[in-house]
Order: sequence, then structure tokens, then C-alpha cells
Amino acid sequence: MRRNVAGLVVVFVGAAVMQLAISNTYLRYVKPGMRWMLLAAGAILIVLAVADVLADTRKKPGEHQADDGHGHGHLLPRAAWLLVIPIFALLVVDPPALGADAAQRQSPVAAKPAVPKGNSFLGESTAGAAPVPLAVRDYAVWAVWEKESMKGRNFQLTGFVTPGKNGTWYVSRIGLTCCVADGTAFMVEARGQTAPPKNQWVTVTGEWAEPTKRADGDVAALTVTGVQNVTPPANQYE
Amino acid sequence: MSTPADSAEATGERDSAAATADPDAPVGPPPAPSTEPEPPAEKEPAGSSIAFTLTLVLLVALALFGRRIFSGLFTDDGVRTWATMFVGVTVQAMPFLVLGVLLSAALTAFVPPSFFAKALPKHPALAVPVASASGVILPGCECASVPVSAALMNRGVTPAAAIAFLLSAPAINPVVLASTAVAFPGQPKVVVARLICSLAVSMVLGWLWLLTGKGSSWLKMPKNRHAEGTAKLEVFRSSMLHDFLHAGGFLVVGAAAAATLNVVVPRSWLDHVASNLLLSVLVLGVLAVLLAICSEADAFVAASLTQFSLTARLAFMVVGPVVDVKLIALQTGTFGPKFAVRFAPATFVVAILFSLLVGWWLL
Repeated sequence: MRRNVAGLVVVFVGAAVMQLAISNTYLRYVKPGMRWMLLAAGAILIVLAVADVLADTRKKPGEHQADDGHGHGHLLPRAAWLLVIPIFALLVVDPPALGADAAQRQSPVAAKPAVPKGNSFLGESTAGAAPVPLAVRDYAVWAVWEKESMKGRNFQLTGFVTPGKNGTWYVSRIGLTCCVADGTAFMVEARGQTAPPKNQWVTVTGEWAEPTKRADGDVAALTVTGVQNVTPPANQYE
Repeated sequence: MSTPADSAEATGERDSAAATADPDAPVGPPPAPSTEPEPPAEKEPAGSSIAFTLTLVLLVALALFGRRIFSGLFTDDGVRTWATMFVGVTVQAMPFLVLGVLLSAALTAFVPPSFFAKALPKHPALAVPVASASGVILPGCECASVPVSAALMNRGVTPAAAIAFLLSAPAINPVVLASTAVAFPGQPKVVVARLICSLAVSMVLGWLWLLTGKGSSWLKMPKNRHAEGTAKLEVFRSSMLHDFLHAGGFLVVGAAAAATLNVVVPRSWLDHVASNLLLSVLVLGVLAVLLAICSEADAFVAASLTQFSLTARLAFMVVGPVVDVKLIALQTGTFGPKFAVRFAPATFVVAILFSLLVGWWLL
């Protein structure tokens, strides 16, 4: 790869990384905390490429020849062309945040937490109280492992629709720790309503229901009384 | 079409070299004199080459019309999930890769070889543990440590010590240990086990290199590309550019492999092997290789695999930072394929053995 072409590819990579961070598109791929790192990385790449091209241009032709003797210029690695592929994927495929397809590849069973997160804030009030909005990842765990405190209560969950087998469907969210490679699906079986289209974002309200038994564990469930279509949040992960 | 070239670039030697190194370069007769004569004052010898123009046009066209041209081609859910994983792994690794090449270029340009001669014990066998322990200072994931350890070799550090550093840095740095502590609250023994196990693995592989690899030809020594007398800033700039392009290319290969395995391998097969200790340790080790999760996040994934024993989950956290598909790709690029085919399996076996040992002892 020629040096100026290399500079161009690096500028494009840097610009793509910065654009992701500025436009919030990065939230589809990594956790929010990585924003400043992406901005810094993109800026460093652009500065590097511009500095390199400028320095290369400033040289007189004679110096350029001597410079090649040291091995850069035409010796820049061919592997660098591969860097164009993720840019291609970003620009052309425009990969969405992980959704129902990724969730369907995982089990809807919520693992027992090592140290359970407390849900004592739910308090004592029960019947007739307004639905409590909860994160899907919290409900999916509590509905199975903290049954007693959840019984008879109304909850409100927001997530995307993942179709299951035989007409069942799940309100689901993907949890991220670092990037999409470690995305974990949290799924709550929605009972009593027909399934909205796959990947539709919904806010459901309903009452806790007895978890569904499966061979690999129990799946959280909710007897849904109200389904409302909503627009996806800026950060689709929990 | 011809390459508008300046007098220096038009030499036959330069052109043939460029043609072999650059798939987009026009192959064939030496370029004819420029069709667009440049004014004599113009000092941009390379700024108007045909490869440059083509790449620029291609990238800009993609940015503007790519989505319209290819719309309808990438609508399959599986393909889109793959693309998300692929872009996600690449984007996540990018800041760490930039940090890694920045540090490695700084080592190459500004730190004299005599510094390492003084800092490390003379005897290679003693240099290995010192290098392992100093892995604690590089707070990044595995993508950062590959270029840095290549730079260390480049600066005359014995390969055994550089290998020890390569393996320990992504596993025992404070960020990774802290995230492990957060992922396993109330179980500090997991953090201790991870630290001991990863240190041991890196030292053993360093010593193993001294025993078996010394003098053999399968480690492609990273070349010192810069003759004495070049300005330090120039060395810094061009080695950073070179390292980034090289490692970046291989990172893309690794990200593609990780995304493919993430999408293709169903996680449900895990549930059938959780009960057998030996099998479960092996399976989580293999899973760590296939998923290529960043070492700063793998503890959280390990913590969620509750159907497995702590020893098996320790194996997941010990194997992940030292050998995974993304790392194998990076190592192939940096140290050569002959090195990678020997090093990756050896690392895997040692990491599994030590996980069993430390798990049996501590967990």
C-alpha cells in the first residue's frame, strides 16, 4: 500500500470512529462509557495520517528516494486494505443494534445472580397500585428468584418483541458489559396478548405470573394487560 | 490510464515494488510521463497517484451512495446480526489498538535499548518474571499488548520476556482485576486466583520459549525499520502508521472470525456439559477462544455462566486474554503464522492446566 493511500485509509477509519461517537451510533455497538475513548482514538488517527502525509509531501524528491531505502512508502502492509471492510459494513449494511435475532440465539432463562440486587424499594403496597416501571433485566431475574416480593404486583416493562415457539413472545432487552460480543439477552414471556411484529418496541403493563418451566430453568413471565408501541430508546441496551 | 508520477517515483525499482505491495496499483509497464504535467513549484510527489484517487473515489462513493446501491442485499436478520457483531468487536478494539500502537511507537522512537538492558535482569530466565509482573502497568485489553511486545522485541528485549509481557498485560492490569472484583462481589478469591493463574501462565510460556524456541526460525522478529540517524519524530510517526495498518488489518480478520462464531455457535450447547469438571473447563476454555471477548469485560460474562463451577469460569477468564481468535489473527500478523500455530495451542494447554491447578487449590 502506498503511503498516501495508507494515510487516506487511516483518515477514513479515524473519521468513521469519530462520526460513530459524535452521532450516538456507537451506542449500537459498545457501552456508553467508551465514547471519549472513541473520540480520542479517532482524533489520534486523523492527526497521525495528516501529519504523515504532510511530512511526506514536504520532502524533496531526492530525500524521498533515500527515505524509501529505509523501507517505508511502498512497504506499508497490504493487510491494511482489510480496514476498509468495517467501513464498508458501516456505510452499506448500517448494522442495527442487536435485537430479536440475537435474542433468539440465546436461552430466555435468567441465570441466578451470585449476589442478588435487592428489590426492597418495591415496598409493601400491593393490589391496585400503579404499575412499577422496571428494567427488563431486573424483572427477568426477580420474577424467578424473588417470587414472593413480586406476586400480585403490576409492572411496566419496555423492550423489543422476540417471537418464540407456538405463538409465545417475549419482551426483551440485551445487556452489554463492554461491546456486542458479550451481549446477553434478558427475556420476559408476555402472556395474554397476541404477538406484535418481531423487533417492534413496546411498553407492556401487567401482573407478575408464575414462571414457565423449561428443561434448562425457569423463564420470567408477565400477564400482559396493555401493550403500547413505542419508539426505541437512544441506548437500546441495558 | 497512467500513473502521474514525479521523477523520483518513476524509477523502475520503486514501481515494481509498489505493484507487488499494492493490489490496486497498475501492474505493467513503468508509468508513462504524467498526463497532467505538474507545475514545477508543486511539491506533492505522491498526492496524485492513481491508487490514491481510486481509493478516495471508492470510499466517498460508498459513503454517499453505498446504502442505495446495496439496499435489499443485506436484509437477512442473521447477516445483520453478524454485521453488528463484526463492527462492534472492531469498534470496541479500536481505542485499545490505537493505545497499543501509540505506546509501541513511543518505545521504538524514544526509549533507547539501553533502558531495557538496565531495567531487566541480564539472565533471560530472570527477566521473564520481571516482565510478567510489569504487565500490570498496561491498562488495556489484549489488542494493545501485541504491538507493545513486538516493540519490546524490537528494542532488544529477549523474546521470552516480551512473550511473558504479552500474556500477562491483558490479564493482570488493574482495570481487569477491578472489573473481576465487581463481577464476582464478595468473592475476592476469584480475583486472587485469576491474578496468580495468569501470572503463572505468562511466566511458564516465557520459560517454555527459552527451552524450546530459542534459536529456532519460526518467530518472525519484528524488524527494526529505521536506520540510525532518522529523526525521532519521523521514526515515531512512521512506525505508528505501519503498526496501526498492520495490526488493524489483522484485527479485522479476528473480528470477522469472532462475529461468525458468536452468531453460528448456539449457546445452548453449553448446558449439556456443565456437570463434568474436566469437560466443563475445556469447554469454557474453547468458548473463551471462540467468543474473543475483551479482557476487561470477560469477568461479567464468566459471572453469568452460573451453571458452571468456579474453576471452569476461572479457565474462561485465564484463557480469554491469552488466546482467542482475534489475538491469533493479530499474532499471525505480527510474529508470523509459524509462530502463531505453535504458540496458540501451547498457551491454551498451559492456561487450562493452571486453571485446573489453581482452581483446585483456591476455589
